[in-house]
Amino acid sequence: MNHQIDDHIPAFDDPAHEREWLAQERAMRRERLQLDPVGDDAREQRYRLLARALREPLADNLPADFAEQLAARVAAAPARVVDTGFERVLTLALGIALLLGAIMVSLLYGSTWLAAILTILPAPQPPAGRWLLAFAACIGGSWLLGAWHQHGYGRRSG
Amino acid sequence: MDDIRSSPDRELVDAVLAARPGAFERLVREYQGLCWHIVQRMVRNPEDARELCQDTFLRVHRCLHQYRYDSALKSWIGRIAYTTALRHLQRKRIPLVESAGSDDDYALLDNIGSGFDLEAACADQQTAQHLHAAIESLPPVQRALLTLYYLEETSIPEIARITGLASGTIKSHLFRARLRLRGTLEARLGVAA
Repeated sequence: MNHQIDDHIPAFDDPAHEREWLAQERAMRRERLQLDPVGDDAREQRYRLLARALREPLADNLPADFAEQLAARVAAAPARVVDTGFERVLTLALGIALLLGAIMVSLLYGSTWLAAILTILPAPQPPAGRWLLAFAACIGGSWLLGAWHQHGYGRRSG
Repeated sequence: MDDIRSSPDRELVDAVLAARPGAFERLVREYQGLCWHIVQRMVRNPEDARELCQDTFLRVHRCLHQYRYDSALKSWIGRIAYTTALRHLQRKRIPLVESAGSDDDYALLDNIGSGFDLEAACADQQTAQHLHAAIESLPPVQRALLTLYYLEETSIPEIARITGLASGTIKSHLFRARLRLRGTLEARLGVAA
Protein backbone atom coordinates (compact mmCIF):
# COMPACT_ATOMS: atom_id res chain seq x y z
CA MET A 1 0.00 0.00 0.00
CA ASN A 2 2.98 2.28 0.32
CA HIS A 3 4.55 3.50 -2.87
CA GLN A 4 7.79 5.19 -3.70
CA ILE A 5 6.63 8.72 -4.44
CA ASP A 6 8.66 11.29 -6.33
CA ASP A 7 8.04 14.63 -4.57
CA HIS A 8 9.45 16.63 -7.49
CA ILE A 9 6.77 18.46 -9.46
CA PRO A 10 8.02 18.92 -13.03
CA ALA A 11 7.37 22.14 -14.96
CA PHE A 12 5.27 22.01 -18.14
CA ASP A 13 7.23 21.92 -21.38
CA ASP A 14 5.02 24.64 -22.84
CA PRO A 15 5.81 28.05 -21.23
CA ALA A 16 2.20 29.21 -21.78
CA HIS A 17 0.92 26.23 -19.76
CA GLU A 18 3.43 26.91 -17.01
CA ARG A 19 2.39 30.60 -16.88
CA GLU A 20 -1.27 29.62 -16.59
CA TRP A 21 -0.41 27.05 -13.91
CA LEU A 22 1.47 29.68 -11.90
CA ALA A 23 -1.54 32.03 -12.15
CA GLN A 24 -3.79 29.20 -10.89
CA GLU A 25 -1.43 28.55 -7.99
CA ARG A 26 -1.04 32.21 -7.06
CA ALA A 27 -4.81 32.69 -7.04
CA MET A 28 -5.28 29.62 -4.86
CA ARG A 29 -2.69 30.80 -2.33
CA ARG A 30 -4.08 34.34 -2.23
CA GLU A 31 -7.60 33.04 -1.73
CA ARG A 32 -6.43 30.67 1.00
CA LEU A 33 -4.81 33.62 2.79
CA GLN A 34 -7.91 35.75 2.09
CA LEU A 35 -5.80 38.54 0.61
CA ASP A 36 -7.46 41.57 -0.93
CA PRO A 37 -8.28 40.77 -4.61
CA VAL A 38 -7.99 44.42 -5.67
CA GLY A 39 -4.43 43.97 -7.00
CA ASP A 40 -5.18 40.70 -8.82
CA ASP A 41 -5.46 40.65 -12.59
CA ALA A 42 -8.58 39.40 -14.42
CA ARG A 43 -7.18 35.87 -14.82
CA GLU A 44 -6.33 35.51 -11.13
CA GLN A 45 -9.70 36.90 -10.09
CA ARG A 46 -11.42 34.21 -12.12
CA TYR A 47 -9.27 31.51 -10.51
CA ARG A 48 -10.02 33.00 -7.10
CA LEU A 49 -13.73 32.60 -7.82
CA LEU A 50 -13.05 28.93 -8.66
CA ALA A 51 -11.07 28.58 -5.44
CA ARG A 52 -14.00 29.90 -3.40
CA ALA A 53 -16.37 27.42 -5.02
CA LEU A 54 -13.95 24.53 -4.50
CA ARG A 55 -13.34 25.42 -0.86
CA GLU A 56 -17.04 25.39 0.02
CA PRO A 57 -17.99 22.50 2.35
CA LEU A 58 -20.00 19.70 0.74
CA ALA A 59 -23.77 19.88 1.10
CA ASP A 60 -24.22 16.40 2.63
CA ASN A 61 -22.24 14.94 5.45
CA LEU A 62 -21.81 11.81 7.53
CA PRO A 63 -24.23 11.37 10.45
CA ALA A 64 -23.12 13.12 13.66
CA ASP A 65 -22.83 9.77 15.47
CA PHE A 66 -20.96 8.02 12.63
CA ALA A 67 -17.76 7.49 14.64
CA GLU A 68 -19.64 6.35 17.73
CA GLN A 69 -21.74 3.84 15.77
CA LEU A 70 -18.77 2.45 13.91
CA ALA A 71 -16.73 2.05 17.11
CA ALA A 72 -19.67 0.23 18.73
CA ARG A 73 -19.95 -2.07 15.70
CA VAL A 74 -16.25 -2.89 15.81
CA ALA A 75 -16.35 -3.46 19.58
CA ALA A 76 -19.35 -5.81 19.23
CA ALA A 77 -17.64 -7.86 16.52
CA PRO A 78 -15.77 -11.02 17.53
CA ALA A 79 -12.16 -10.54 18.57
CA ARG A 80 -10.03 -9.47 15.66
CA VAL A 81 -8.28 -12.26 13.90
CA VAL A 82 -5.21 -10.83 12.30
CA ASP A 83 -5.16 -11.73 8.63
CA THR A 84 -1.79 -13.46 8.56
CA GLY A 85 -3.11 -16.89 7.60
CA PHE A 86 -1.14 -17.05 4.39
CA GLU A 87 2.08 -15.99 6.13
CA ARG A 88 1.59 -18.59 8.86
CA VAL A 89 0.89 -21.39 6.36
CA LEU A 90 3.94 -20.38 4.34
CA THR A 91 6.16 -20.24 7.43
CA LEU A 92 4.88 -23.65 8.55
CA ALA A 93 5.45 -25.16 5.08
CA LEU A 94 8.98 -23.75 4.96
CA GLY A 95 9.66 -24.99 8.49
CA ILE A 96 8.49 -28.51 7.59
CA ALA A 97 10.55 -28.48 4.37
CA LEU A 98 13.60 -27.36 6.34
CA LEU A 99 13.06 -30.04 8.97
CA LEU A 100 12.61 -32.79 6.35
CA GLY A 101 15.72 -31.59 4.55
CA ALA A 102 17.69 -31.61 7.80
CA ILE A 103 16.50 -35.14 8.60
CA MET A 104 17.39 -36.42 5.12
CA VAL A 105 20.82 -34.81 5.18
CA SER A 106 21.40 -36.17 8.69
CA LEU A 107 20.41 -39.68 7.57
CA LEU A 108 22.69 -39.49 4.53
CA TYR A 109 25.73 -37.88 6.08
CA GLY A 110 25.08 -38.11 9.84
CA SER A 111 27.32 -41.09 10.44
CA THR A 112 30.24 -39.40 8.68
CA TRP A 113 29.72 -36.15 10.66
CA LEU A 114 29.35 -38.02 13.95
CA ALA A 115 32.55 -39.89 13.32
CA ALA A 116 34.33 -36.66 12.43
CA ILE A 117 32.98 -34.91 15.55
CA LEU A 118 33.87 -37.78 17.80
CA THR A 119 37.44 -37.77 16.55
CA ILE A 120 37.96 -34.14 17.56
CA LEU A 121 36.21 -34.51 20.95
CA PRO A 122 38.01 -35.91 23.96
CA ALA A 123 36.96 -39.57 24.05
CA PRO A 124 34.40 -40.10 26.83
CA GLN A 125 32.91 -43.43 27.77
CA PRO A 126 30.36 -44.53 25.07
CA PRO A 127 27.26 -44.20 27.36
CA ALA A 128 28.38 -40.70 28.41
CA GLY A 129 28.61 -39.62 24.73
CA ARG A 130 25.06 -40.76 24.09
CA TRP A 131 23.78 -38.92 27.17
CA LEU A 132 25.59 -35.77 26.11
CA LEU A 133 23.97 -35.94 22.68
CA ALA A 134 20.53 -36.55 24.23
CA PHE A 135 21.05 -33.56 26.55
CA ALA A 136 22.05 -31.30 23.64
CA ALA A 137 19.01 -32.49 21.67
CA CYS A 138 16.72 -31.66 24.62
CA ILE A 139 18.17 -28.16 25.00
CA GLY A 140 17.89 -27.52 21.25
CA GLY A 141 14.33 -28.87 21.10
CA SER A 142 13.20 -26.70 24.06
CA TRP A 143 14.77 -23.62 22.53
CA LEU A 144 13.10 -24.26 19.18
CA LEU A 145 9.69 -24.83 20.79
CA GLY A 146 10.06 -21.66 22.89
CA ALA A 147 11.02 -19.59 19.85
CA TRP A 148 8.12 -21.02 17.86
CA HIS A 149 5.62 -20.30 20.65
CA GLN A 150 6.91 -16.76 21.13
CA HIS A 151 6.71 -16.13 17.37
CA GLY A 152 3.11 -17.36 17.25
CA TYR A 153 2.09 -15.28 20.29
CA GLY A 154 3.73 -12.15 18.88
CA ARG A 155 1.80 -12.57 15.63
CA ARG A 156 -1.54 -13.04 17.39
CA SER A 157 -1.14 -10.02 19.68
CA GLY A 158 0.49 -7.77 17.00
CA MET B 1 10.32 9.27 9.16
CA ASP B 2 11.36 9.72 12.76
CA ASP B 3 8.90 12.56 13.25
CA ILE B 4 6.07 10.33 12.01
CA ARG B 5 7.16 7.57 14.37
CA SER B 6 7.05 9.87 17.38
CA SER B 7 3.98 11.85 16.29
CA PRO B 8 0.43 11.74 17.68
CA ASP B 9 -0.27 9.30 14.80
CA ARG B 10 1.86 6.75 16.62
CA GLU B 11 0.02 7.22 19.92
CA LEU B 12 -3.35 6.91 18.21
CA VAL B 13 -2.35 3.81 16.24
CA ASP B 14 -0.88 2.17 19.35
CA ALA B 15 -4.04 2.95 21.29
CA VAL B 16 -6.28 1.44 18.61
CA LEU B 17 -4.09 -1.67 18.29
CA ALA B 18 -4.16 -2.07 22.06
CA ALA B 19 -8.00 -1.79 21.84
CA ARG B 20 -8.07 1.08 24.36
CA PRO B 21 -11.63 2.35 24.98
CA GLY B 22 -12.55 5.27 22.72
CA ALA B 23 -9.36 5.04 20.62
CA PHE B 24 -10.97 3.80 17.40
CA GLU B 25 -13.82 6.31 17.76
CA ARG B 26 -11.20 9.07 18.09
CA LEU B 27 -9.44 7.85 14.95
CA VAL B 28 -12.70 7.80 12.98
CA ARG B 29 -13.67 11.26 14.24
CA GLU B 30 -10.24 12.60 13.27
CA TYR B 31 -10.32 11.33 9.68
CA GLN B 32 -14.01 11.00 8.77
CA GLY B 33 -14.01 14.46 7.14
CA LEU B 34 -11.13 13.52 4.85
CA CYS B 35 -12.77 10.21 4.00
CA TRP B 36 -16.12 11.85 3.28
CA HIS B 37 -14.57 14.52 1.07
CA ILE B 38 -12.72 11.96 -1.04
CA VAL B 39 -15.51 9.41 -1.32
CA GLN B 40 -18.50 11.71 -1.70
CA ARG B 41 -16.77 13.87 -4.33
CA MET B 42 -15.91 10.72 -6.28
CA VAL B 43 -19.16 8.75 -6.10
CA ARG B 44 -21.61 11.69 -5.68
CA ASN B 45 -24.27 9.51 -4.10
CA PRO B 46 -24.64 10.24 -0.36
CA GLU B 47 -25.97 6.77 0.51
CA ASP B 48 -23.23 4.96 -1.38
CA ALA B 49 -20.66 7.37 0.05
CA ARG B 50 -21.77 6.65 3.64
CA GLU B 51 -21.49 2.92 3.06
CA LEU B 52 -18.08 3.29 1.42
CA CYS B 53 -16.85 5.45 4.33
CA GLN B 54 -17.98 2.71 6.67
CA ASP B 55 -16.14 0.11 4.56
CA THR B 56 -13.06 2.33 4.58
CA PHE B 57 -12.88 2.54 8.37
CA LEU B 58 -13.65 -1.15 8.84
CA ARG B 59 -10.72 -1.85 6.52
CA VAL B 60 -8.58 0.63 8.46
CA HIS B 61 -9.42 -1.26 11.65
CA ARG B 62 -8.66 -4.61 10.04
CA CYS B 63 -5.35 -3.56 8.46
CA LEU B 64 -3.98 -1.04 10.96
CA HIS B 65 -1.34 -3.53 12.13
CA GLN B 66 0.11 -3.31 8.60
CA TYR B 67 0.64 0.48 8.84
CA ARG B 68 4.43 1.00 8.82
CA TYR B 69 4.65 4.78 9.49
CA ASP B 70 6.34 5.42 6.13
CA SER B 71 3.68 8.04 5.37
CA ALA B 72 1.38 10.16 7.55
CA LEU B 73 -1.66 8.31 8.92
CA LYS B 74 -3.80 10.85 7.02
CA SER B 75 -2.27 9.69 3.72
CA TRP B 76 -2.62 6.03 4.63
CA ILE B 77 -6.31 6.38 5.51
CA GLY B 78 -6.89 8.70 2.54
CA ARG B 79 -5.42 6.04 0.26
CA ILE B 80 -7.80 3.41 1.61
CA ALA B 81 -10.75 5.79 1.09
CA TYR B 82 -9.58 6.63 -2.43
CA THR B 83 -9.10 2.99 -3.49
CA THR B 84 -12.43 2.00 -1.92
CA ALA B 85 -14.23 4.69 -3.95
CA LEU B 86 -12.21 3.83 -7.05
CA ARG B 87 -13.20 0.14 -6.88
CA HIS B 88 -16.84 1.12 -6.42
CA LEU B 89 -16.71 3.26 -9.57
CA GLN B 90 -14.88 0.53 -11.50
CA ARG B 91 -17.55 -2.01 -10.49
CA LYS B 92 -20.19 0.39 -11.81
CA ARG B 93 -18.10 0.91 -14.96
CA ILE B 94 -18.01 4.67 -14.45
CA PRO B 95 -15.08 6.30 -16.33
CA LEU B 96 -12.53 7.61 -13.85
CA VAL B 97 -10.76 10.12 -16.09
CA GLU B 98 -11.64 11.79 -19.36
CA SER B 99 -10.95 9.58 -22.36
CA ALA B 100 -8.95 12.21 -24.25
CA GLY B 101 -7.74 15.75 -23.58
CA SER B 102 -9.73 18.43 -25.35
CA ASP B 103 -7.72 21.00 -27.31
CA ASP B 104 -10.59 23.47 -26.86
CA ASP B 105 -9.56 24.00 -23.26
CA TYR B 106 -6.06 25.11 -24.30
CA ALA B 107 -7.52 27.78 -26.59
CA LEU B 108 -8.34 29.64 -23.37
CA LEU B 109 -4.71 30.11 -22.46
CA ASP B 110 -4.37 33.40 -24.32
CA ASN B 111 -8.01 34.31 -24.06
CA ILE B 112 -9.16 36.28 -21.06
CA GLY B 113 -12.14 38.60 -20.74
CA SER B 114 -11.95 41.90 -18.90
CA GLY B 115 -14.14 43.80 -16.46
CA PHE B 116 -14.48 41.06 -13.88
CA ASP B 117 -15.73 41.90 -10.40
CA LEU B 118 -14.88 39.02 -8.04
CA GLU B 119 -17.21 40.03 -5.23
CA ALA B 120 -20.15 40.63 -7.60
CA ALA B 121 -19.51 37.26 -9.29
CA CYS B 122 -19.42 35.54 -5.88
CA ALA B 123 -22.73 37.11 -4.93
CA ASP B 124 -24.35 35.96 -8.18
CA GLN B 125 -26.28 32.78 -7.35
CA GLN B 126 -26.60 31.69 -10.96
CA THR B 127 -22.87 31.94 -11.56
CA ALA B 128 -22.25 29.92 -8.39
CA GLN B 129 -24.74 27.23 -9.48
CA HIS B 130 -23.19 27.15 -12.93
CA LEU B 131 -19.75 26.69 -11.43
CA HIS B 132 -20.84 23.92 -9.06
CA ALA B 133 -22.53 22.10 -11.92
CA ALA B 134 -19.27 22.36 -13.89
CA ILE B 135 -17.31 20.94 -10.93
CA GLU B 136 -19.77 18.04 -10.68
CA SER B 137 -19.38 17.31 -14.40
CA LEU B 138 -15.62 16.76 -14.09
CA PRO B 139 -14.37 13.13 -14.09
CA PRO B 140 -14.23 11.48 -10.60
CA VAL B 141 -10.43 11.53 -10.31
CA GLN B 142 -10.21 15.24 -11.14
CA ARG B 143 -12.99 16.00 -8.63
CA ALA B 144 -11.11 14.08 -5.94
CA LEU B 145 -7.83 15.84 -6.74
CA LEU B 146 -9.42 19.30 -6.63
CA THR B 147 -11.15 18.47 -3.34
CA LEU B 148 -7.93 17.27 -1.75
CA TYR B 149 -6.04 20.30 -3.03
CA TYR B 150 -8.56 22.99 -2.13
CA LEU B 151 -10.82 21.69 0.63
CA GLU B 152 -8.29 19.55 2.50
CA GLU B 153 -5.36 21.82 1.59
CA THR B 154 -3.25 18.74 0.86
CA SER B 155 0.06 19.26 -0.97
CA ILE B 156 0.71 17.59 -4.34
CA PRO B 157 3.30 15.11 -2.92
CA GLU B 158 0.79 14.15 -0.22
CA ILE B 159 -1.96 13.73 -2.84
CA ALA B 160 0.48 11.50 -4.71
CA ARG B 161 0.74 9.28 -1.63
CA ILE B 162 -3.06 9.11 -1.33
CA THR B 163 -3.83 8.42 -4.98
CA GLY B 164 -0.69 6.60 -6.09
CA LEU B 165 -0.48 8.97 -9.08
CA ALA B 166 2.78 10.67 -10.04
CA SER B 167 3.14 14.34 -9.01
CA GLY B 168 3.41 15.39 -12.66
CA THR B 169 0.16 13.58 -13.49
CA ILE B 170 -1.60 15.27 -10.59
CA LYS B 171 -0.31 18.66 -11.72
CA SER B 172 -1.58 17.97 -15.22
CA HIS B 173 -5.04 16.93 -13.94
CA LEU B 174 -5.31 19.99 -11.70
CA PHE B 175 -4.21 22.28 -14.50
CA ARG B 176 -6.69 20.90 -17.04
CA ALA B 177 -9.56 20.79 -14.55
CA ARG B 178 -9.05 24.43 -13.52
CA LEU B 179 -8.64 25.54 -17.10
CA ARG B 180 -11.87 23.79 -18.03
CA LEU B 181 -13.68 25.41 -15.10
CA ARG B 182 -12.37 28.80 -16.18
CA GLY B 183 -13.73 28.03 -19.64
CA THR B 184 -17.15 27.38 -18.13
CA LEU B 185 -16.88 30.63 -16.24
CA GLU B 186 -15.87 32.57 -19.37
CA ALA B 187 -18.87 31.12 -21.20
CA ARG B 188 -21.15 32.11 -18.32
CA LEU B 189 -19.69 35.62 -18.16
CA GLY B 190 -20.15 35.91 -21.94
CA VAL B 191 -23.82 35.01 -21.54
CA ALA B 192 -24.30 37.33 -18.59
CA ALA B 193 -22.60 40.28 -20.32
